[in-house]
Amino acid sequence: MKYLRTFLAMFKGRKLATIGLIWFCIVAVAAIAAPLLAPFDPLEIDPVARLSEPGTPYLFGTDHFGRDSFSRAIYGARMAVIIGLGSVIVALVTGGLIGMISAYFTRLGHVLMRGVDVLMAFPALLLALVLMTLLERSVTNTIIVIGIVYATTTARILFGMTLKLKGEVFVDAAICSGAGHGSILFRHILPNLISPLLVQASFIFAFAQLQAAALDFLGLGLPPEVPSWGNMLSEERIYVTRAPWLLIFPGALIILSVFSMNLVGDAMRDSIDPRFKDDIAGV
Amino acid sequence: MLVYTIKRLLALIPTLLAASILVFLFIHLIPGDPASILLGDTATPEDVAALTREMGLDQPIWKQYLLWLSNVLQGDLGTSVFFREPVLSVIGDGAETSILLATMTMFWIVLFGIPIGILSATKHGTWVDQMTSGGAMLFASVPTFWLGLYLILIFSVGLGWFPSSGFPSVSDDGGLANLRYLILPSLTLAAPNAALIIRLVRASMLDVSREDHVRTARAKGLHPAKVAIKHVFRNALIAVAAAFGFTFAALVSEAVVTETVFSLPGIGRLVVQSILRRDYPVIQGVILVIVVLYMIINLLVDLAYARLDPRVSLK
Repeated sequence: MKYLRTFLAMFKGRKLATIGLIWFCIVAVAAIAAPLLAPFDPLEIDPVARLSEPGTPYLFGTDHFGRDSFSRAIYGARMAVIIGLGSVIVALVTGGLIGMISAYFTRLGHVLMRGVDVLMAFPALLLALVLMTLLERSVTNTIIVIGIVYATTTARILFGMTLKLKGEVFVDAAICSGAGHGSILFRHILPNLISPLLVQASFIFAFAQLQAAALDFLGLGLPPEVPSWGNMLSEERIYVTRAPWLLIFPGALIILSVFSMNLVGDAMRDSIDPRFKDDIAGV
Repeated sequence: MLVYTIKRLLALIPTLLAASILVFLFIHLIPGDPASILLGDTATPEDVAALTREMGLDQPIWKQYLLWLSNVLQGDLGTSVFFREPVLSVIGDGAETSILLATMTMFWIVLFGIPIGILSATKHGTWVDQMTSGGAMLFASVPTFWLGLYLILIFSVGLGWFPSSGFPSVSDDGGLANLRYLILPSLTLAAPNAALIIRLVRASMLDVSREDHVRTARAKGLHPAKVAIKHVFRNALIAVAAAFGFTFAALVSEAVVTETVFSLPGIGRLVVQSILRRDYPVIQGVILVIVVLYMIINLLVDLAYARLDPRVSLK
């Protein structure tokens, strides 16, 4: 409860960021309750009604197979949350561990951080594309690939922060009281990194949406039958002159979601511990 | 400065070597025998055996790497499976489009990003600032291909002002007028990046404007516009210059998508098509070229940064 209150306090007086947070909650609810909210099966084909305009019963119209765009958009929210959360977890766990360990064990850190530097020499989408060539198109692989891309930036950021924290008196105190390495890293240093990690998480969530959509568009992301906003755009783009609404809804959903998460990240960053202000610049 | 330059150059070598090892291993990570992968599906067993010998695939892997590296250093990046041409010349064919696209994009980024960023910072806290920085964040949240598709729909299909796809070389008929093919793609590519520059210019100008020398300049009665440009913006430019390396990486990533949307014959589209055609030598070659280019640009940015802010090289 206390944490929730501190979290909500960050949004006080920030109307746009609050709207962003509310939109994120709406997407999350749609994701969880997709089967209840969607009026049709997202994969059900109705050939007679193909490319129908928005109206009743098809709120967002239908695509070239006659599938209900509104239902697909709701299931797309589920994919957006899965991809977003999955990439955040992969990026924060691997990147966070590498960054913290590198800063704590300096010698090992030299080697690990050079590895991170090498991966960072590959532009983000290019790295994702290369990895996707080696892997099959699937939800898990898309998550892993996007997660790895953002693990590098996370490692960089956490490396700097852990180095700063390592010099603080409370760490010396913990060493003096006989705490082991694991206890210092995870019980003394990690709790101080929670809020910057949350900021990072919101930015990664936002960027993962754009990366996933780009991968879908290039035909190298989620399998084509998966209803995701990126796939909806990618599949229907050839019908854009005949049915422009087919691209407006999924596009607007992506933009709103990315925009919201960026606003939320910004609001959290502004209220963060001033020691870390310089480290987090947004991904 | 000279010592710093040499230091930076030396530091580049291990990263470059490590990256080259990764790029080299790429072919070996693909399931299957590298020689048959490189030759494609139509290769005969004799061809495969010949290439295996030629590439030294029967040798230990480190020897293969050295052989590959020495070929690369001599400009031999292998042969494209699809084009049956040296990879380097395939990349060269796409270079004109990509370089012109990048140049035009940079032009828009500077043209829109910097003045709007300055405006946003000088009107800090007002509705102008809220509109511009909110708008910038909105643009940074738009998927590039979506923006591109709608620009085509409005300005090519609807209004017929610009061509919707392709790019004939400027050396073909039409000459420099052919650049109109790149206007929509470069605007698409510029939008999210200009948005980032707006945010960056704003943030670093606000940082600098809190410094003592700015207060002094104001206190001695300088015109606010002069303070903003000569004292604040010039110092803020250092941080902006440093971001151009990052912008390059973003441009490369988004160029892959934009060139695909507008069917431009550039390097970005080449990557996507090579992936779909399983033309691995080209993928490998393009990645290597981009990574090397990215490192060189980062080095130049760092050097420029050190030149603009002498404190950096003294650290």
